[in-house]
Amino acid sequence: MVKEEEDSSNRPDNTAFTQQRLPAWQPILSAGIVIPGFVLIGLAFIGIGVGLFLTSRDIQVLEMDYTGADGSSPCSVCYNLADKNCVCTMSFSIDSLIKGPVFFYYGLTNYFQNQRRYGVSRDDKQLYGDTSNFASPNSECAPYQYISNVPIVPCGSVANSMFNDTFELFKNVNGQSLPVPLDGKGIAWWTDYNVKFQNPNVTPLINAFNGTVRPPFWSKNVYELDTTDASNNGFINQDFLVWMRRAALPDFRKLYRRITDGDYSAGLPAGNYSLKIHYNYPVNGFGGKKKVVFSNVSWMGGKNEFLGIAYLVIGSLCVVMSVVMLIVYAKFKFPEDN
Amino acid sequence: MQAVLASDYSFAQFQYLRRLLLVHGRWSYFRMCNFLGYFFYKNFAFTLVHFWYGFFCGFSAQAVYDQWFITLFNIIYTSLPVLAMGLFDQDVNDQNSLRYPSLYKPGQQNLLFNKRQFFLCTLQGVTTSFLLFFIPYGAFSAVVKEDGSNFSDQQTFAVTIATTLVIVVSVQIGLDTHYWTAVNHLFVWGSLIVYFAILFSMQSYGLFGLFPNNFPFIGAAYNCLSEKGVWLVILLTTTVCVVPGLVVSFLKVDLFSTLTDKVRYLQQSRKRHGPQEQSLRRVRRTSSRRSGYAFSHQQGYGELITSGKNMRRSTVSSACSLEKTTNGSNWIGNVLKRKNEVSCSSQEFIAAPEGNSSATKTPRQQRTD
Repeated sequence: MVKEEEDSSNRPDNTAFTQQRLPAWQPILSAGIVIPGFVLIGLAFIGIGVGLFLTSRDIQVLEMDYTGADGSSPCSVCYNLADKNCVCTMSFSIDSLIKGPVFFYYGLTNYFQNQRRYGVSRDDKQLYGDTSNFASPNSECAPYQYISNVPIVPCGSVANSMFNDTFELFKNVNGQSLPVPLDGKGIAWWTDYNVKFQNPNVTPLINAFNGTVRPPFWSKNVYELDTTDASNNGFINQDFLVWMRRAALPDFRKLYRRITDGDYSAGLPAGNYSLKIHYNYPVNGFGGKKKVVFSNVSWMGGKNEFLGIAYLVIGSLCVVMSVVMLIVYAKFKFPEDN
Repeated sequence: MQAVLASDYSFAQFQYLRRLLLVHGRWSYFRMCNFLGYFFYKNFAFTLVHFWYGFFCGFSAQAVYDQWFITLFNIIYTSLPVLAMGLFDQDVNDQNSLRYPSLYKPGQQNLLFNKRQFFLCTLQGVTTSFLLFFIPYGAFSAVVKEDGSNFSDQQTFAVTIATTLVIVVSVQIGLDTHYWTAVNHLFVWGSLIVYFAILFSMQSYGLFGLFPNNFPFIGAAYNCLSEKGVWLVILLTTTVCVVPGLVVSFLKVDLFSTLTDKVRYLQQSRKRHGPQEQSLRRVRRTSSRRSGYAFSHQQGYGELITSGKNMRRSTVSSACSLEKTTNGSNWIGNVLKRKNEVSCSSQEFIAAPEGNSSATKTPRQQRTD
């Protein structure tokens, strides 16, 4: 016989939560939901895939490799040269108008900007304009931290390896070479330019860098990157920002300039062009390749057929799977009256 | 009293043992196996992305994700939904668990988590990590933003894959949960919302201003997730990772359906057209034949009384599937066997697939406990 008081004090709670009676939704994967769902997903994906594929097909891209490794290119003379001021000229022609705005990229292959030790070799505090780190750079920057006990600004391998080839584009009109205006404003992310990288609050800028030295591979100091435009000088130089944003994969492209001004606002018209390259960046040491790319963009970005084809493939697979499931369901119909 | 103090579980009457085993024990096994399987899948999917990335970063152990994401993934973003599944999930409700004791068999035969199941979970995790890496890899090899500026950088890649991973594992746990209580809803949707909230707050300007070296992903989330192309990649990867599992589980129910699946369908169809039939049955219910005898040393007369031989009773079949489930202790098997509601119903149900359709139509007495 159990006493009433003991019984009530030892009795466990009889709430919905403790007795696991909470109201719940109990979905079951029934054929009525799954098979039409698959058909819907399949058709939607096929639609998206077609849209992406057609959009990507309309994007025009012109790529030219100018490494000069094989000896047949005009820039082959620069390939093995130790001379830092080699200049070469590549000529090319365009058959039909490349619709504007046209973007001018440089590309590198076999270049592992995503290597871990390379990637951590930077000092974000320096780049934020914190002058206390000018005197003592981050130890991760080693071996590009000090040169003969003088601190390097900006320190680290990422900054040191900055791409320094420059390009000039000319259009051949009636035997004359007319320069094509290249716009270098706003090629980096807005957040990089305005927030992540800032110059020290010292005018003139050169005074902030007293007692520091430039990275060993650089031929100019950081405060000389663009002496014509103060908003493009120092750490907020657009080319520097573009380089400092590490690429994810070993074959990458980075934006160099935009072609949007004047006669070229509608795009690059058909004709003969010549590209003058100041070949400074050596890639023969690691078997890399360099190229320039002219491309226009769409709402989905640049030319990328992978996404369109992937959507089409997955969409068709979904439709096929829904047919298979329908056949299986019809044949082995689950006995619901059991 | 001393025995109670020294024991893990103690209860006053042997009849409670039935509910402990058939309802709570079974649920516990089911939840534990689901939990384990999902946990292995989630962690393999999360970690092996770095294995695939090694081929493309010179094997330098570069992390695909932001360091903060790696820290918070198992603590905040994915811990609560699986906890809720481990606490609340029920495949079959308690009445049906008692009514069909054969549902207890998978626990005895170690069917829900064995080497084969572990291998399948691992395989699913590995495949998910493969798709999680290579679909963004294919998409990012030549992608730029709508305004032409760069996009295929390490931080955007990281944010894309991290977001896709969180969405994929959340969708997967959504498909694995059979019993959605309010707590489950809160934890699953809450985890997703918390992920986006933390993502945007950690990659905001304020934190970067305070600790520039620790929050280098400034601006990455905003720039990445405001591009339509990225959301298309996320959608594609999520679908490709989740759909095969869905197909397999759907086909398994049709081709190799288990007792659990059948009972679940029965439960669902009863809920849909059941209420009027059940109220009729309730009218016919006889008085409860439960008795309060507890035996410490010997059987005594309990069996006689609880079998109801001295009371009004209907015919009961002695050969019962319960014999198979209670291999160990004979006396409890006898006690349970004699409770005629259980043996009737389970017997009729087990006999049903062999073509005995008339037996299933006989109304059963409502089992209360």
